[in-house]
Amino acid sequence: MLDLDRHLPAIAAADQDAFGDWAGAAEGELRESLRGFAAAVDVESVLQETLLRAWQLAPRLRPDGKPNVLLRFAVRAACNLALDEARRRRRVVAEGDEALQRRLDALAERGPASPDPLLRRLIEFCLAALPGKPRQALEARLEAAGGEPDRAIAARLGQKPNTFLQNFTRARRLLAECLKGRGVALDEVSP
Amino acid sequence: MIGGREREVLVEQAAGAWRPVRVDGSVGALPAWADLDDAGRAEAFEVARASRRLEAALDGRGWSSTVKVVMGRIAGR
Repeated sequence: MLDLDRHLPAIAAADQDAFGDWAGAAEGELRESLRGFAAAVDVESVLQETLLRAWQLAPRLRPDGKPNVLLRFAVRAACNLALDEARRRRRVVAEGDEALQRRLDALAERGPASPDPLLRRLIEFCLAALPGKPRQALEARLEAAGGEPDRAIAARLGQKPNTFLQNFTRARRLLAECLKGRGVALDEVSP
Repeated sequence: MIGGREREVLVEQAAGAWRPVRVDGSVGALPAWADLDDAGRAEAFEVARASRRLEAALDGRGWSSTVKVVMGRIAGR
């Protein structure tokens, strides 16, 4: 079982790289825990805010004898944040305490999914096979890594924002087709 | 009702990792996400999920755009 608490002592000592490695391994589970809120809140913003709070609060967290204490804390915090945001937007959300508790119990028993070490080469192969403009759009957004809005990336490429995003959509679909042709469904890629 | 290419562009924007920062320092929702209907928001969730997995798989440390943007904010604090 993958116990992400192995990063906890370093995170508590303010090691940012250790927190990044924890967040990289925890993100998929955290995002999945917010699935029930997808129509009611902007999951991406809730997830980023949750990670920032996890970084701030991790040094105060104490082990409870079960694995993945920081991840379980973050899942609970993410759901609470999403609930607050949904209420603020006057939205009703189906997922309740029972579903959250089942998720927390599962994390204490089995942990999050492990990454697939062979996947990277396959994605790189499919990325290299993309046509010019779509590939350029995909690589530019990968390089920006969420640090700037799409209109800024588009301007750097000399494209209108809509043209850039349409190229990006095409790249994403072609990449998914390429991966599917090699037996990998992008939706099923391990985090 | 938004349809066709306009909707596709909004979904793609909402599925990205860039988010505005509110005046209190917290992470804000993207206007493009707010412009989508429930089905569009659900689609953006799925696109974001697949995209982050792809980004993490391509990164040497397994960091997606979401993780990188958060780490950038932590480093800047």
